[in-house]
Amino acid sequence: MAIGDATIVQRSMGARMFSTVTTVALVAVSVGLMLLLLSMKDSGRKSFERGIGNMHMLISRDSSPLVSVLNGVFYANPPANPITWQEFEGLRGSLRFPLVLIPTQQGDSFRGRPVMATVPEFFTDFEPVAGEPFAFAEGEAFDAPFEVVVGSEAARAAVLRVGDVINLRHGGPRDPDAHVHDEYDYTVVGILEPTGSPHDRALFTDLTSSWTLHAHDRRLQEIGPDVETTPDDLVDADKLITGVYGRAIGRPGSSGPPAYLPQVLVQLRRNPSFVVAEPSGEINRLFQIVGNIDKILIAMAGAVMASSAIAIMLAMYNSMEQRRRQIALLRVLGASRARIFRLVIIESALLGLIGAVLGVLVATVGGVVVSGVLQARLGLVVEPTFGWALAAWVVGATVGLAVIAGLIPAIAGYRTSVVRNLRPLG
Amino acid sequence: MGEANHPALAIEKLRFRYPGAAEDVIAIDDLTLLKGEQMLLTGGSGRGKSTLLHLIAGLIEPREGTVRVVGQAMHQLRGARRDRFRGRQIGMVFQTHHLLPGFSALENVMVALTFSGVARSTHRELARKTLNDLGIDRVDADPGELSVGQQQRVAVARAVVCGPALVLADEPTASLDPEAAGVAMDLMQNACREQGAALLCVSHDPAMSARFERRGELGALSAPASAGGVA
Repeated sequence: MAIGDATIVQRSMGARMFSTVTTVALVAVSVGLMLLLLSMKDSGRKSFERGIGNMHMLISRDSSPLVSVLNGVFYANPPANPITWQEFEGLRGSLRFPLVLIPTQQGDSFRGRPVMATVPEFFTDFEPVAGEPFAFAEGEAFDAPFEVVVGSEAARAAVLRVGDVINLRHGGPRDPDAHVHDEYDYTVVGILEPTGSPHDRALFTDLTSSWTLHAHDRRLQEIGPDVETTPDDLVDADKLITGVYGRAIGRPGSSGPPAYLPQVLVQLRRNPSFVVAEPSGEINRLFQIVGNIDKILIAMAGAVMASSAIAIMLAMYNSMEQRRRQIALLRVLGASRARIFRLVIIESALLGLIGAVLGVLVATVGGVVVSGVLQARLGLVVEPTFGWALAAWVVGATVGLAVIAGLIPAIAGYRTSVVRNLRPLG
Repeated sequence: MGEANHPALAIEKLRFRYPGAAEDVIAIDDLTLLKGEQMLLTGGSGRGKSTLLHLIAGLIEPREGTVRVVGQAMHQLRGARRDRFRGRQIGMVFQTHHLLPGFSALENVMVALTFSGVARSTHRELARKTLNDLGIDRVDADPGELSVGQQQRVAVARAVVCGPALVLADEPTASLDPEAAGVAMDLMQNACREQGAALLCVSHDPAMSARFERRGELGALSAPASAGGVA
């Protein structure tokens, strides 16, 4: 058994434990931060893709397809321009393709959470994440007016359970003219499992209830304060929707949209009063618009990486002063200048390697913490995951940078004067 | 002539001066040290005692002249070859022990073997035996846990463990009290005898003289008839 370069480097690092630990910790934090940034870059897009699910098109009267998607899927704002139920029926009748069309209406809220009125098929035919249909943590879908299903995050925030009775607010979460309809009690009949999509923040009720609420406001103005409104009082003008989720049904077992989807879209777009959005395309476009954020994230990651390399170089270089005697001694014992150079480079690389491996752990743990906080506070499912290939690349790059960072200290070690540093200790 | 027939050290017309200096600090025409021979070289501070050892070890370049260690002209060797030769053939002991921080006593000795070319499989046992022979039983102790005298023994063990032809000792007892100095010198001189290594010890301590049959004064060595300076 002999002492090799690895042992010499290990002992050298151990002799300067504080410097070694702080440098490794700095590299670990830098690498962890960088990996988190890189993984957030991808998970941001993935997070946006959740919610669109298996939808191929979104029909609305919003100002643009992107606004339509942001409002209709991400509940940014209640869509301002409605589609009448008659128009929807006409549209449905005119399309000679096998389609699933799910009407939706927004405009109400509950304690700052959006309420979407829709049909029960929303929970069966629409999957918020492709391949992952809605599932109920408690209860079931509504099948009568004034029943409500609550998204997981909304239920958690408002502490709602099946059987609770609530009153909705007529008006969006940020609508200053919104008012609570005490006269209409809604019963919670279902709580959804988390989907990691924006729908977790929402409440869902049937269209008839929503129309009745709005009709009541109309009738209050028309008839007076003592009026009562039931579904029987609805007129065509009350029956409004704000969007239609559409899915073209493909052959069983086939993935991706069916070949006739473009024809459907062309036909729909012949009516200029509708805005027909392809949600996944709009998300791609959104990320092209905000693509600079990706570049900023990558630049930040690069800066973090560079700072960690500088940290290694400074730590190594600063340690050279106290190591000059050790280097001189190794030279006396027969170590060549090249061997000293190599030892310093190995030490630098080892600092990078240990720091990078710990950094992967930091990123893994940090990712869990960040996604937990984002989901708990914002209901946003961001899963900053990274593959082993990326981790291996980052570790390799860190070691490479550490080697480069070790060059200057290694040159200093190479040039260390033996005679000057063998003088008797003070 | 094979290595075995060469003197451990042979110096011819060695001249060295520091950059900018008007005179040579080392000017030795002839000095030979046979295998196993032990010599004390004395001289006041600043007379170049350490410089001479650095020249012999090939750590600095002479202005002119030759230093041969077991027949090999040190300064004809370049770079790593000289370093390797030094690691194998020359052991050095310093005034302060210069033990490597973070390394145990055993590892401090094993490091010397790392660069010596001695078979790796023997390193641990050889280092342990050398330390034991010098009275160090706590071989895994950190040098900081050892007394000053014990640290010097570790330094001696490191100097002789490779079986060098020549051991250079630079004021080896300067940091020891007289009793510890005596013990350390006994151990070092015995170790060199057992290894068959020549010992060149430089010191300004007059008490050392009695330990060496051959003594020299650096100033006298520098005179043209250098042999006259050697007792």
